[in-house]
Amino acid sequence: MYLLAFSNFIRSRSVLIAITLFLVTGVISLYIGSRFLQKQQAAVEAVTQLQQAQIERNVKNVPDQFGLLMYYLRFAYINKPDPLAALAIGQQDINNSIQYLTVRGLEGQRYDTGLFNPYNQLTGNLDLSFVILFLFPLLIIAFNFNVLSQEAEEGTWPLVRIQAGSAMRFIVQKLSIRLIVVLGLLLILLALAVVIVPVPLNSKLLMFSVTSVLYIVFWFAVSFLIIALRYSSAISALLLLSCWVLLCLLGPAMVNSYLTARYPVQEAYSTFLKQRDGYHTKWDADKDKTMEPFFKHYPQFSRYVWNSPKFNYMWYYAMQQAGDDEAAGDSKAMQNKLRQRQQLAEKFACWIAPMQAQLALTDIAGTGLQQQQQFLDSTAAFHESTKLHFYPRIFTDGAVSAENWAQHVPRYFKATAAMVPLFAMMPLLVFTLILGATGVVIFRRKGAAYTFQG
Amino acid sequence: MPVILEAVQLTKQYQEYTALRQLSLSIDTGEIFCLLGQNGAGKTTTINLFLGFLEASEGKALINGIEVRPNSNATRQHIAYIPEVVQLYGNLSGIENLDFFSRLAGFTYSKQELAAFLQKAGLQQEANSKRLAAYSKGMRQKVAIAIALAKNATVIFMDEPTSGLDPRATAEFTAICKELAAAGKTIFMATHDIFNAVNLGSRIGIMKQGSLVHTVHTSGISATELQQLYLETI
Repeated sequence: MYLLAFSNFIRSRSVLIAITLFLVTGVISLYIGSRFLQKQQAAVEAVTQLQQAQIERNVKNVPDQFGLLMYYLRFAYINKPDPLAALAIGQQDINNSIQYLTVRGLEGQRYDTGLFNPYNQLTGNLDLSFVILFLFPLLIIAFNFNVLSQEAEEGTWPLVRIQAGSAMRFIVQKLSIRLIVVLGLLLILLALAVVIVPVPLNSKLLMFSVTSVLYIVFWFAVSFLIIALRYSSAISALLLLSCWVLLCLLGPAMVNSYLTARYPVQEAYSTFLKQRDGYHTKWDADKDKTMEPFFKHYPQFSRYVWNSPKFNYMWYYAMQQAGDDEAAGDSKAMQNKLRQRQQLAEKFACWIAPMQAQLALTDIAGTGLQQQQQFLDSTAAFHESTKLHFYPRIFTDGAVSAENWAQHVPRYFKATAAMVPLFAMMPLLVFTLILGATGVVIFRRKGAAYTFQG
Repeated sequence: MPVILEAVQLTKQYQEYTALRQLSLSIDTGEIFCLLGQNGAGKTTTINLFLGFLEASEGKALINGIEVRPNSNATRQHIAYIPEVVQLYGNLSGIENLDFFSRLAGFTYSKQELAAFLQKAGLQQEANSKRLAAYSKGMRQKVAIAIALAKNATVIFMDEPTSGLDPRATAEFTAICKELAAAGKTIFMATHDIFNAVNLGSRIGIMKQGSLVHTVHTSGISATELQQLYLETI
């Protein structure tokens, strides 16, 4: 019976057109993701070569002043995208994934980002996660809205009711055929991702797949609930599309507006100003007032000579540090607010399935805001360790040639998942079960509806 | 012959409107019982109550001694249904539809067995593999009869089955129904066709405004007499 029901479904021309369309859209999304990844990898390769070349060039041009040399030298810290980022680009295309830093003040460099595609911030990318999160529900709605009402409207329902032991089992079987088709489509796209991107077969891909499957099953549970209400095809389609608009568009938009209003990040501007003022005003200030907080910050350098008559690079880098120190409060406040936004967004996401799935997918792919914040925090640690490596050489005006420059290759950020995505998907699982159970109760209560008075 | 269908004070009320009023009726195994009446007389309501599609306001409907509600699943095992317009799945062929609906009822047959059911129902063999979209109303009814045969139903409910059929298709249909009755199947049919009812039925009931007004045996009445009685009743 399953095979016959499947044949009846798949022989429909509109079903074949829909499947083909989604397959093509999915392949396009994989191509877009693959291009993004290639671009990111090309940038990583370019910065690796650039770092080596600029070190060689500057060491040759400034062979005798370590402090001056370090004014120019840049060191790359790279948030290398996981291949899975091709499937869920998230914010990785608008946030900087390569920090190319000098040992000067950090705050002035940390947010220097290659914002080359602001248009995408508005629309999002047509990556596979977009297809799964926003387009697959539409396919599911198109497949499911008339699963029962079509039987009634086309007159097959009475015969089905007489033949079938359980009407609900019949409808669930029909739904399961559509679920298999949608999951098959997902499986094909994921298999193509392994070939096209290529995404490695690992636990991350498994988590990505499981999350996507859970999300798809959620939409089937929504469909089942609406089906159980036994409205006409037109009303059922309207109700399901309303759910889509509410969950995929209105809900996230409202949450975003609320979060922006609740946690305004004025500190983004004040951090920038304080860092600049903190550094620039020191040119005219008493040197002691610059050095005192510097030695307080770094007591290990207090033994170095800084008050020599000629220009002293220790004083110069202390001025740079002053900029960072004076902006530190605002910088921290900004980071905290972004974290608060993220945390509250996660709480709201528990109630809005597409948001929850989106956060989980970007988290698995390492392209979410959380990872970007981790990267920025880690950037500070990288900057600090680079400074601490070079400060003694600068402060003693060490020999440039004595440094092993070959060891200064780009360093890579390694993200740690802040949440276990499968655990994070628990609310979605619970909602799916609640919707399914409610659908079962309503379906049983409605009994053998769709009969006509004689 | 044992009673297979029984209605006891069966009533269906929709707020102020009474669709069926205290119907009491017994039908024996192998009988062909035809219900006559105008639109809205309560024929389809009676069938729907026996099918378990509707819940009786009062009284009860029994099939093979089992009360339909709340045992619809149990009583459905004994019955088949041929609606006025048989609707099947257009993307499947006749034989696939038969296979599908048989499996739905829990029966699995080989292709040869399915073809034999269709042949018995009068469908020409070359039509078996054609998609339903190409079937006429009569051909669809034959598939529905084949579904009833494959289910081995003891009672077949028919709701105005000859409506819209041409004379030849009606004659074929009548012959098949007689064969079914001869094989021990009980047929409960709602119809407007007085002449076919006399020709086919063993008993005829005439309904008016939800009540069964007359019950007559066809052995003792001609088509003209029945027509006269029908016109006087309605």
